Amino acid sequence: MNRRTILVLGTLGVGGYAAIRYLPALIPSDFDFEELSDPSGFRSIAGGETSSAFNPFIGLPGNEDAATAPLVTEDEVRADICESLFGRYVPSDRVPVASFSDYYCPFCRVQTRALGDMAAANSDGMIVKWHELPLLGETSELAARVALAGDLQGQYTAFHEQLIRTPFQPNDAYIEQLASSIGVDFGLLVQDMESETVRRQLETSKILSRIFRFVGTPALVVGRTVVNGQISERQLRDIIELERSSNWRSIC
Amino acid sequence: MLIPPPLELRKFRLAGIAAALAFGAGPIQALTTEAEASPAAEVRMVTVENAVMPAAASISAALHVDLADGWKTYWRNPGEVGLPPEIDLSASDNVRDFEILWPAPERFTAFGIENFGYSEEVAYPLRILLEEPGEPAVVRADVTLLLCSDICVPAEYQFELTIPAATGTAPNIDLASAGLVSRFVERVPREVEGPFLREVQAQWDEESRLLTVEARGDTPFTQPDLFPELNQLTAFGAPDIRLGDGDRTIWASIPILSYDPAGDDTLLLTVTDGASATTLPVTPVETAPSPPYQIDLSSVGISDILWIAFIAFLGGLILNVMPCVLPVLSIKLSSIVGHEGMTAGRVRGGFIASAAGVMAFMWMLAATLFTLQWVGVTVGWGLQFQSPVFLSIMIAVLLVFTANLFGLFEINLPSSLQTWMAQRGAGGGYTGDFATGALAAILATPCSAPLLGTAVAFALTGGAIDIAVVFTAMGIGLALPYLAIAMFPAMVSKLPKPGRWMVLVKIVLGALLAMTTIWLVWVMGRVAGLTPTVVTLVLGLAIVVTLSVRRPAALAKTGAVAGLALALLLAPVSLGTERGEAAEGLAETEWAVFDRAEIARIVSRGGIVFVDVTADWCLTCQANKLLVLDREPVLPALLDESVTTMRADWTRPDESISRYLASFDRYGIPFNAVYGPAAPGGLVLPEVLTPSVVLDALERAGGAALEQARSN
Repeated sequence: MNRRTILVLGTLGVGGYAAIRYLPALIPSDFDFEELSDPSGFRSIAGGETSSAFNPFIGLPGNEDAATAPLVTEDEVRADICESLFGRYVPSDRVPVASFSDYYCPFCRVQTRALGDMAAANSDGMIVKWHELPLLGETSELAARVALAGDLQGQYTAFHEQLIRTPFQPNDAYIEQLASSIGVDFGLLVQDMESETVRRQLETSKILSRIFRFVGTPALVVGRTVVNGQISERQLRDIIELERSSNWRSIC
Repeated sequence: MLIPPPLELRKFRLAGIAAALAFGAGPIQALTTEAEASPAAEVRMVTVENAVMPAAASISAALHVDLADGWKTYWRNPGEVGLPPEIDLSASDNVRDFEILWPAPERFTAFGIENFGYSEEVAYPLRILLEEPGEPAVVRADVTLLLCSDICVPAEYQFELTIPAATGTAPNIDLASAGLVSRFVERVPREVEGPFLREVQAQWDEESRLLTVEARGDTPFTQPDLFPELNQLTAFGAPDIRLGDGDRTIWASIPILSYDPAGDDTLLLTVTDGASATTLPVTPVETAPSPPYQIDLSSVGISDILWIAFIAFLGGLILNVMPCVLPVLSIKLSSIVGHEGMTAGRVRGGFIASAAGVMAFMWMLAATLFTLQWVGVTVGWGLQFQSPVFLSIMIAVLLVFTANLFGLFEINLPSSLQTWMAQRGAGGGYTGDFATGALAAILATPCSAPLLGTAVAFALTGGAIDIAVVFTAMGIGLALPYLAIAMFPAMVSKLPKPGRWMVLVKIVLGALLAMTTIWLVWVMGRVAGLTPTVVTLVLGLAIVVTLSVRRPAALAKTGAVAGLALALLLAPVSLGTERGEAAEGLAETEWAVFDRAEIARIVSRGGIVFVDVTADWCLTCQANKLLVLDREPVLPALLDESVTTMRADWTRPDESISRYLASFDRYGIPFNAVYGPAAPGGLVLPEVLTPSVVLDALERAGGAALEQARSN
């Protein structure tokens, strides 16, 4: 083999390697968004077919008391959809994320854990509003009520941490032990679980899930982007960045 | 491409036609509800009977779930979270009671969460008892199912099937439904002891953190999985399953994630293996069953052994050019260059002796491994480099060889020994050749070559025969260059005539060997600490000096060398090892300490984990580090914030690392694996890394999911 052949082969080899290595990175890989007609201004990233082809979503029967009249109406929720989704106050430098989850849904654990860690690290300029969307029956709903009642005593995060780490046990002994390990008043907790505040929150979350036609949990609304299903932390960061650079407040 | 229907299906169609002809009484009317379709699954209800036979007290039905790609639904025990299907027949007419038969589940592990259920297709067979035997019935089913892919969708269904009373006495059975139901009834675990499973025992540890179970079968298990169940609120983690007693005993330790002692429920254990499954109540025992030793006998086919022998042979051959062995081959070659006048016979003999040396060490290694395995010690390739005693001997031996190459002295055996060997007619003078061969084999152990890992793993998980075959083949591979020269001694004459260049070659080879020695000294420093290493070095140099003394008083010299060698042996033992760690390099700070449990947690947050199991004595590991991991383009990829790098240091023995390697059927290093959302079980990389291999694995582990989601 003479020197020229070696040179040519070498160049081809290096060129080929470089092409395989770097070309894919040059192809843009943006999200495909689909604008929603209702509520307008929002957009969705999960494939259109998945979300529309499911039956209108209702969830499994919980222990809802049909006799009690609803406390919240859809019109009220729509009146200030940003507040319904993200809470009353979003700091100007933050991108809000509304997280809808169920303690009995396997992928919700993954999603809420990631989101919780991101929020705790506080490095991504985001703020999370947790919505309980108990779709998987009575135990789900009970767990959701416990978490929201814990929130009234300022311990939502602690309850949340415990509830996504262990299977929820729907008995007083377990809830009492949970309350004492976190250090909240058990009597108050039980009382709050049936309170109007907690019911209002659950109803608001449920109405939002209907408005955004979620087909299941987990689901997120990041700024004006609706995400159905679990996504990776990196994708979530990408979406947060996209929202930051675009004007998500246009929906409010 | 058209795929022909599977044989079973074809047979089934024929049977269907035959049945239609035989019964001849009009069209067969299937009792099947319309399928409720969603993008996740098609769900319907079927009954086997088209009509209730006179006096029949029960009917067979099934809830049939045809799942779309990537969707799953759950077993009666869904695992850590999730919901089992619920079926309510209370609105039915003429139904007294019913029972769901649960087909054996599969295990799904995603992001460290264990779930048990079904993918693709499942039918939950139902045995429905009638209130009035022989009377028509209306089955009204209210069904709730949890269907999950990367989103969990609860679904509710209502089905209604009217089953009339039979008009004649001929069985009126829907064959399609019967086929479906029987296919899934076969998958329902048996509930009696039998040849597949018996004698199930388990122990709960005191803190209720770990469950240890043991069970036996009459025939060997192949790929068993097991699912313990206590009550709804007790959840178990991923089991560590091992087989023993010719694969007839199954042993597992299972972490208990949450425990509800409230109920006095019996612990049930379901064991599945291929098409077999059995659920048995567990007998509690006081002391935890101990894990089985390795498998006794080879249970693999002859073709597998031949193939693995070939792999081992190739691996052995490649070892010759790995940096740890190359100097030895060079020494050997230079020895002939030095003795141009040797006869072909002498050259042949010398090289055969070297080959024998290689084989002898390999067989010794095989015997040691077998003994250790038999005693139940975890063993691995290159483990002797974790022993300071071994290291100090190697350093001394290499020092002597290096000094020899630099011409400080010639290795001459004591004349008495030479005479003795000559008298025996054993062809004296070949001892050095033999030792060279053995040295090559010893030095080969810290170097893992491509293909070698596979072969060694095979041997270490196999029985005595597997070990013997693999190590012999590896030895032959390693000895091949020596054997080649032994076969064609004439090749030696092709080597250039000796001259001044010879001195140069010797010095170059000596330098190579000196570098190997320095490396070993460094390794020993890391394994044993500073003092023993310095002592070893001093004693080794003393031996060299003694040997180089020109005027030999044979006895005194032998005595001195023996004394020094003994001191060398004792030094690391008596001085103990210093566990203090040397300062770490800059790049080291980026690496997190290996923590197996942390991997799942990071992956569950969508992160990527790169695991590097390394040891200071593992040359291939150092090469991987210098040439690939610490360099462009891999370094920036590893430094990316989405990637967590973990390094497990196996320089000293560490049971948890050995276990981790064994879980991948690896018993030697280098070992590298990449975990990510798309590869929660880990992608194992080859022994010798290249940048493209690492980058590709990182991309596959993390990127695939990302790409997919984006393209949707």
